Amino acid sequence: MPFIVRNINKTTMDEKIFTVSEYVDRLNEGLRKYSAKVIGEVSSANLGPTGHVYFYLKDDKDQSLLKCVIFKSKYDLYGVEIKDGVKIIAFGSPNMHKQYGFSFVAETIEYAGEGLLKKEYEKLKKKLSEQGLFEPARKRPLPKYPQRIGIITALKGAVIADFSNNLEKFGFRVKMIDCRVDGQIAVNDLLLSIKTFKKQDIEVLVIMRGGGSLESLIAFNNERLVLEVANFKVPVIAAIGHHKDVPLVAMAADVSVSTPTVAANILNQSWSQAALSLERYQRNIKDHFQNILLNVRMALDSALAKTFSGFNALLLRFKKQLEYIEKAISANNPERRLALGYSIAKCGDKIIRRTADVRLEDDIDLRVMDGTIISKIKKINKKND
Amino acid sequence: MIKEKSKEKNLNSNLKRLSEITDWFDNQQEADVEEGLKKVKEAVELIKASKARLKNVENEFKEIKKEIDGEDTVTNS
Repeated sequence: MPFIVRNINKTTMDEKIFTVSEYVDRLNEGLRKYSAKVIGEVSSANLGPTGHVYFYLKDDKDQSLLKCVIFKSKYDLYGVEIKDGVKIIAFGSPNMHKQYGFSFVAETIEYAGEGLLKKEYEKLKKKLSEQGLFEPARKRPLPKYPQRIGIITALKGAVIADFSNNLEKFGFRVKMIDCRVDGQIAVNDLLLSIKTFKKQDIEVLVIMRGGGSLESLIAFNNERLVLEVANFKVPVIAAIGHHKDVPLVAMAADVSVSTPTVAANILNQSWSQAALSLERYQRNIKDHFQNILLNVRMALDSALAKTFSGFNALLLRFKKQLEYIEKAISANNPERRLALGYSIAKCGDKIIRRTADVRLEDDIDLRVMDGTIISKIKKINKKND
Repeated sequence: MIKEKSKEKNLNSNLKRLSEITDWFDNQQEADVEEGLKKVKEAVELIKASKARLKNVENEFKEIKKEIDGEDTVTNS
């Protein structure tokens, strides 16, 4: 059955008469599947009035020529100057223009050969360095306790797994954009991803990819991308693996690390420290409060002991005072004086203190220890007599 | 009753009052036994109330510690 259907279709197509436009459209449909990377030396380069660049790629060996065009929007992306004699690799697909005929339409262009790539890398590095783009003073500190993280990386592969496995559970809200990161074709994706994140509420942007050759990392040495990273609204962490030549995007980023694991750890850092501090504060508060309770208990015990000892001292002092008074009273007891030989002389009811208290022939009572002696005044001698 | 409760709750002011009482004993020039006895009775009441309050505080603290230690165990697991 399928065989018959195909035959019917073939017959129908063979008999169909196309307009030129229809046929060119049909041709282009078929040509699209011949997209490829083509290497060759640029010749007859010509910058058109609209900014598109027309040129030929020439084969070294047999001088074969491929007519090419790259549109302005793409040409501006890659920082590759198309001029005669330069060897480039163009990625694109053939296309038959309805007025101007056949051309290979380049989507991306890059310098061919490690030597040339390296030379261009060094040239751009010098230029951007002179602009101060890699200055340490430009680097912004990462916010403390970041939560809203933007990630640009290829979601297939080990990079994102390493990052996710090492990002701890501190309540991060991660937004990811799956993006091509390999070769020149990645430039457009990376620029679009950055553009998208410009409108997002994030605190840190992380751009990641695994290691690779200068050629595979070419997108990360793109001038426009470097400028976008350097001027991005929030700090950027670049975790781009590399061997010798540090990608310029990494040099322009606020923080550059070599692996996604380190990038995740940097994001964890302030949170981990906060968790440790909380633990320490918790322990300190517990210890301090325990000490306060102990001190209160000791203060209460001490107050009780002091009160009791204070009162005991008071009682002792009181007793001593009583004893002293008792002794004093005892020492001044007249009975005791009489026992010592003193006597009390009275004339009538009055105690005789002076010579003037008596007159000659007065009867006086002398009180002694065991009784009273009645006497008569015979003579009075005053002291000054 | 209300007076008793406030006495029990004010650990800090109890300690202050106890300090005043012990200072009174330290600085006493005359042996005023009657006043001294009053102070001893007051101090014993304050100490009893303060110890009861301290016991409550310690129990509350134990509960809080248990709560925190419990949270730590959950977090670590």
